[in-house]
Amino acid sequence: MTHENEGQGDPNRINLDDITCPTREQRANGINAFKGKASELVEQARNGQLRNCERDFQQNSGCILNFYLTVRVATIRDAVMIVHAPVGCSAPAALYREVFRRLWASMNKAADFDFHWLTTNIGEKDVIYGAADKLKYAIEEAIRRHSPQAIFILTSCASGIIGEDVEGVVAEVQPKIDATLVPIHCEGIRSRIVQTGYDAFWHGILKYLVKPRRNPQPDLINVASMLSYTWQDRVEITRILGKIGLRPNFIPEFARVSDFQALSEAALTAPVCPTYTDYLSRGLEQEHGVPYFLYPSPIGIANTDEWLRTIGRMLHIEDRVEDVILEERKLWVPKMDAIREGFEKVKAANGGDFRIMGSLGQGRLVTQTPFFHELGVSTPVALCQDFDDLLLDDVEDLLKRVGDFDIIVNTFQAAEVAHTARNYNPDMVLSCPFQGSAYKREKGMTRIHALRGDGRRWSAQAGYAGAVACGSFLLQATKNRSFQNTMLQKTGDPYKDWWYKQPDPHYFHRKEEAAGS
Amino acid sequence: MTLTLVTGRDGKLSAQEYPEVAESPRFTCALGGAYGATLAVYGAVPILHSGQGCGMANAQGMTYASGLNSGGPSGTTVTPCSGLIEEHVVFGGEDKLRRLIDSTIQVMKGELYVVISGCVPALIGDDVDSVVAEFKDRAPVIHVKTSGFVGNGFLGYNHFLDAVIDGLLKPRPVEKKLVNLFGIVPNQNIFWKGEIRTLKALLEGIGAKVNTVFSDFGSLGSLERIPAASLNLAFHPWAGAEAVKKLEDKFGTPFEALDFVPTGPKDTSELLRLVGRRLRIPSRKVEAFISNEEKYVYRFMEYLAEMFMIAMPHSFIAAVADSRTAIALVRYGANELGWNPELAVVTDDPPEWSHETIRRRLTEGLEGPGVPRVLFEYDSHKIRQELKAQPLQVILGSSQEKYIAKTENEAHHLSVSYPTYDRLIVDRSYAGYRGGIAMMEDMSHSFAGPS
Repeated sequence: MTHENEGQGDPNRINLDDITCPTREQRANGINAFKGKASELVEQARNGQLRNCERDFQQNSGCILNFYLTVRVATIRDAVMIVHAPVGCSAPAALYREVFRRLWASMNKAADFDFHWLTTNIGEKDVIYGAADKLKYAIEEAIRRHSPQAIFILTSCASGIIGEDVEGVVAEVQPKIDATLVPIHCEGIRSRIVQTGYDAFWHGILKYLVKPRRNPQPDLINVASMLSYTWQDRVEITRILGKIGLRPNFIPEFARVSDFQALSEAALTAPVCPTYTDYLSRGLEQEHGVPYFLYPSPIGIANTDEWLRTIGRMLHIEDRVEDVILEERKLWVPKMDAIREGFEKVKAANGGDFRIMGSLGQGRLVTQTPFFHELGVSTPVALCQDFDDLLLDDVEDLLKRVGDFDIIVNTFQAAEVAHTARNYNPDMVLSCPFQGSAYKREKGMTRIHALRGDGRRWSAQAGYAGAVACGSFLLQATKNRSFQNTMLQKTGDPYKDWWYKQPDPHYFHRKEEAAGS
Repeated sequence: MTLTLVTGRDGKLSAQEYPEVAESPRFTCALGGAYGATLAVYGAVPILHSGQGCGMANAQGMTYASGLNSGGPSGTTVTPCSGLIEEHVVFGGEDKLRRLIDSTIQVMKGELYVVISGCVPALIGDDVDSVVAEFKDRAPVIHVKTSGFVGNGFLGYNHFLDAVIDGLLKPRPVEKKLVNLFGIVPNQNIFWKGEIRTLKALLEGIGAKVNTVFSDFGSLGSLERIPAASLNLAFHPWAGAEAVKKLEDKFGTPFEALDFVPTGPKDTSELLRLVGRRLRIPSRKVEAFISNEEKYVYRFMEYLAEMFMIAMPHSFIAAVADSRTAIALVRYGANELGWNPELAVVTDDPPEWSHETIRRRLTEGLEGPGVPRVLFEYDSHKIRQELKAQPLQVILGSSQEKYIAKTENEAHHLSVSYPTYDRLIVDRSYAGYRGGIAMMEDMSHSFAGPS
């Protein structure tokens, strides 16, 4: 569906006078826990009955700074990231810098791929006396060392609790320097829902970097995509947009500051992950009149068709788009049919069905579930990271098309995921790459996605090429389970037996309403 | 370019510098160090009393940084975490922690539960000790008093040892010839698993008994056995140094400050002789072991000698590493490979009191006319500028030096220190007799064959 005509009464209206966004909890009733039918989830959401929950047993799951803002903001070219935090908060940024550099070299791209970030390294003295001067010094150093066009300042739990006046520093320093300062209020303690961090990032982008719409570029399409979509997904999206005479403006990884400034000049903002892109898309429409749509994403053949059709409709180039779809389908549908036939054989050998359980972000929930159906496999249960009101219409639409299904919202809590996997016992579990010992299974298990730094065509997921690559990958994953089986047999499980024997994966959820929900 | 933005106390612009503001520094925070140490005790379950992201930040920024490792059975998303948010900041996080410890004991298999407090409880003043004390009759639970802002990961290792000594250890009868290994800092020393394994085998080779403390299957038992040692070995100039002093005060265990894990036969043999003397092992026995090992290694060095003489003889080298790794490799390079160490950048931010020891270890007892310039620096930008200014043929550093070694120095590069994201390191190390050969094997890809 499109949102071209939303008006002033929109509860999602963005106020750029505010220093930051509301939390997902405040803006869209974001929740961190649910167990039931998808139809019940939608109904309870419509009735405002969903509540955030406090877990008495909780595990690492990432905060709004590190899921994964630092690693992504650090990749913005001709910019410097300053993390106003103790030294550990920016540690992950080192990883992706190197992963991305390898990718870049292997794909023979431009050499200026030297990312820079600083930590203010908040210490014991700073938590007593404040660290505003250190932040100013970090800005000085950023400019002295790299002459950036923009400087992103990311806040942390520590900077928030000690009451650092980041806005005050920005107001004082900005008039003295050329680089644009972009404060991002992503203190880990702000929210249980990691999407709040991305909203906070987009708020900073909208407020400080995007320039007024002066020279509209009718062939430019804004595309913000998750870290879990790979380099090849960008290549594929570039290819199919190119066929209809359009160019993607990819953000945020590897973008130049000028790419952010030009967001207002695009013809529209198209989603790869709706929940991730939502705040930016709304903001660009509200402030600069750039239309957007949130569903579907180009995942699977049918969704890619529909993604292109929506773009065609919104830009009034339907005919051109239909021609491209026809041409693409001729090439890719036979390949997809072959994969589906492969799954038919797997199903026949497996008693007639093949059940896949996926750990999905909210965005993947509405896009990947139809893709599983396209492959001819069934999904007994979908695990969803978090859930909010933003995609309710789209989930309802999904229900109409694929029927009701079980859904568990659990921020990917590892013990809850392990319990659910044991209980539903699907033929294949698809899980995040960092999901502890989830790979130890009797039945199948593989990763649900690779990461941006993976440049192989094998790991692609988006567009037509991605649908076929991902389908092949999943079929390939059914063939040999010796790693998963062997590790299951030869190593231990972190949880005690009773955890699996008691029936409720949400055993430790507090039933009363959590404050802040 | 002059640019001054900092305002002093008097409200005027000030040229005050803050050297701790750094680009991509070479360590994680103290919470991370304590977390890594806990994960290194097989069977211990860490409980992070912190924000929701501290564990994941340290998965990507610490365990992955130590040679692409996941955190083991209790690491990454398996680690319990109180996930503190604003309501806890306002009302306190103690109740959440109490429920988390209780539920963790119910759900997770563990011989020891280690509560590690982060920035949030430190700033809001949670009384974590009292909460932990409530569980003393239910399971072994200790509290590592640390946070993200008190210092780096090496310091967090010290805090972990402190918590073990204060919260767990009781006097034990001393076992003859038993040594504990300290100063091999999990994750921050990227070869920790292999180093522990190698040292254990070497010391057992001369007849010592070894309590590795970390990495073995002993878990709680290994920790509780610490006071039974007749000698503590400290393999790092400052990480673990306070612990061995404290153990001497508390249990009367003497210690030997070795400052580094030896690479190659010369320093390894010296280590074994020293430990042999301290443990009163007959030198005949020690020398027999040494002679066997040396014979093997030098014979096999002949297989790599020609390649070495073609690719990197008498190289000017730089070591960019934590203090003890830098010491070991500078010494091996200078004393066995004929390399000329030009620059040693010490990246673990050692406390002032240990600088003299580190400087001495890096400059004394080296073959050749020169000694390396010693810098204490963890800012990757400044390190890069230092390397650029220097003709070098070999850079032993982190993976952050990988690209600049090639483009800015035309130097061979090998990742030997944190962060190392360009190679998987499971139980490999450059410790002991075979350490130098292993290092050569790993460097070969940078000059041999098609690139």
